[in-house]
Formats: sequence, C-alpha cells, structure tokens
Amino acid sequence: MNTPLEDEDDDNLRYAEYVLGVLDADARAAVAHEVATTSEAEVAVALWQRRLTPLAGAIAEIEPAPFVWARIRDTLKLDAPEKTPPPKGWWDNLQLWRWLGIGASALAVALLVVVSLPRSTPTPTVVSGYMASTIQQDNGSTGWTATMDLEHARMVVVPATPVAFAQGRAPELWLIPAGAKPIAVGMIDRDKPTTLVLDRDLLARLGPSAALAVSVEPVGGSPTGQPTGAVIAKGTIGAAPDGGAGKVAVGETGRTDRPSV
Amino acid sequence: MSVTSPGRDDLNRLLQHTGRNDQQAFAELYKLTSPKLFGVCLRMLRDRGEAEEVLQETYTAVWRSAASFDATRASAITWLVTLSRNKAIDRLRQHREELLDDPQKLDVAADERATPAAEAESSQEYRRLQRCLDELEPQQQSSVREAFFSGATYNELATRCKVPIGTMKSWIRRSLLQLRKCLDQ
Repeated sequence: MNTPLEDEDDDNLRYAEYVLGVLDADARAAVAHEVATTSEAEVAVALWQRRLTPLAGAIAEIEPAPFVWARIRDTLKLDAPEKTPPPKGWWDNLQLWRWLGIGASALAVALLVVVSLPRSTPTPTVVSGYMASTIQQDNGSTGWTATMDLEHARMVVVPATPVAFAQGRAPELWLIPAGAKPIAVGMIDRDKPTTLVLDRDLLARLGPSAALAVSVEPVGGSPTGQPTGAVIAKGTIGAAPDGGAGKVAVGETGRTDRPSV
Repeated sequence: MSVTSPGRDDLNRLLQHTGRNDQQAFAELYKLTSPKLFGVCLRMLRDRGEAEEVLQETYTAVWRSAASFDATRASAITWLVTLSRNKAIDRLRQHREELLDDPQKLDVAADERATPAAEAESSQEYRRLQRCLDELEPQQQSSVREAFFSGATYNELATRCKVPIGTMKSWIRRSLLQLRKCLDQ
C-alpha cells in the first residue's frame, strides 16, 4: 500500500477520480472530453462506474414532489394523459391535475389555504362545495389555477408559471358570465397565491357557463371597471363534488413537501 | 419500492423500452427510480429546489439518450445514478460558493446509512463494495464515502477534513487502487 503509484495507475486513477467526483471543473471537463472521444477512456470510466456506483445504495430514497414529473412531461412534450375525467373523486386524481397543467403541490397549497380559512357565516343562498378553474395563457401553458370555496365565499388563485409584466402593470382577474360583461374579481399576484373574497353577486354567477380571465392592468386595477389591457389568460369554471377534497390534498402536501432526513 | 423491489432485469427492460420511445415504460421507470435519484441529488446539492431541477434535467436526458444505454456495460440503475451524479456535480461546480455560503441549505442532508429500500440488485453489489471499503483505514474510507456522496473536490474535502490537499489526494488515490484490487478479485 505504500509503494509509489505507477504511471499506468496514475492514468487510470484520473478516470476513477472523475467517477468519484473529486476533480475540479477543468480537470473534469478534460476527462469528459476523453470519454467522449476515446474508447479506452470510455471503457475505463464505465468500469469505475460499476465499481463505485453501488455506493448510492447507501443513500436514502426520497420521493420527489409530483410537479417534477409534470415538468418533465411538459419539457418533453409527452402525450397528455386521457382527458376524460374519472367518474368519482377527481379532486384527488393527480393525473387530472397534471393534465390541467399545475403541480399537485400547487393545488394542495390552494386547497390548504381554502380549507384553513376562518369559518365565516355561511352564505345560505349558494350550495356548498368547491369549484376550480385552470386559467390558461394563449400558448397553452397554465398561468394560474383558481379554487373557489363556495360555502366560505373565497377564491384562492395560485400562479403556475409566473408571467412577466412591464413596470407598473399587474394582473387583474375577471369573471365573465355567459353573454355578459366582465366583472372585476380583484388584483392577483403574478408569483404567489392570492386569496380573494367573493361577494354575493359574484358567487351567484360562478358556474360552468362562466369563465375567468386575466388582463394586464395598471397596478391599482382597471380605471374603468372593465378590462383595459390585453387579456393574457382564460379558463372555464368546473364544479367539484362535495367532501373529502381537502383531506386528500392536504395529506398529499404533507407527504411530498416535508423535508425528509 | 421496498415491498416490490424491481430487479436489475426489470429496470434494464424499462430503460431499453424508454430508448424506443415507450412513454409508459418511461413513466414506470421514473416511478421506480426517481426516489433514489432524488436522494442522490439532494445529498449532493443540499437544496430541494436545486435537486428538483437536476432531477428534471436528468430524466429529460434519460428520455433523450436512453437508446444509448448498453445493458452489457452497466446496469440501468448504475447508468441512471451516474447520469444524475454527473448533472449534480456539474451544477455544484457552477456555483459552489453560493451553496456553501448558505448554512440553511445544509439542513436537508439525506441519511447515508444503508437503507433496506435500496434496490435488491444493488444491495448485493453494495455489500461487496462495503466489504472492500471496510478494509481501508477509517479516515480513508470516510473520505471516499464523503467524496462520492457530496461531489466535493479534493480541495473542498481537504478543507473539511482539515488536512493538506496532498494528504487528501494520497488518501483517496490509494483507497481507489485498493478498492479496485479488492473488487476485481
């Protein structure tokens, strides 16, 4: 073990060091180039990978957040999963949410916020339950996801892909009932969830025939009460069945986002 | 995964099918292997967001280069772990200081003890490697392990262990030669 290193060893050791990961950026790049261009280096590196990579067996497995897979699918433009909603319990169907274009954790955050809001006086005129809308940009990617808690008259709007805005401009959310003029819901954040209170008039108009839209407005909101800037994203509203949704989604958050040790 | 550990052949087959643009095989491969690869990335990068990005880069590369996988040269899990380690190390070399300067990012270190969840196929190879590692001096063994898990350079390892860089290089090089001799027997 104390004999001097021989030349052959010395050369082979560079490949071992490369595989182990101790080389600095320059030395690393040099070996990577060799591997790509000479079969000798390629074989030597492959042998060292076989020897050393089993060490990874000692590393604990940690479940990545579901949105990583959604992003991979998006990046590679893999086929969308079936678009038929499952017959029951679509709230806890991750596939559907991936199809809708958001990570499950973003949904879970929205739902968590919705279900943990202070319980105000129930509004007797509306049915209880949740509604949801995926507000898509023209390029097809999801700008925001809105989750509506009818019973507590709240809406949580979660950005999926933060949209860029010019200085002094901000997104404003509108409810557009079928065949009617847009009604201002409120200003929303471009990069973090926004909770909005829904008044009785708005609540009454939520439904599958209505749509949500986001337009570009001055930071203080549209001066006219109607959209003045470009509409950058739109989405229809879907009803959600009662019950169970909060529990399932919150549990999902707990499992995927807890820092694992 | 610990209940129905996929064998070497299962993963090889899934990776080969992925190489033929089989999306279902790719999804299954991701499901079975991403927790391990995420553990590897998180241990190196010590930041969840960074690890998620590298995991995404890794599987994007898996989809695009799976056709080049050669089962006679490496097992699928070795191929996958290598790909993720290379991407994580590249990331580390790009902005090392940033990560090391933020102590808050050090609190997500993954456990590096052997876990029962390790794939059946690699656990046998792991035990063999562990036997050879056990023949090394304790300090040298821990240097090799730390190097593999952290992706740190000689320089960084020497600083952490408070030894001259020459000493660290000598420890690791001799350990590598000894490991080769032990493993190739």
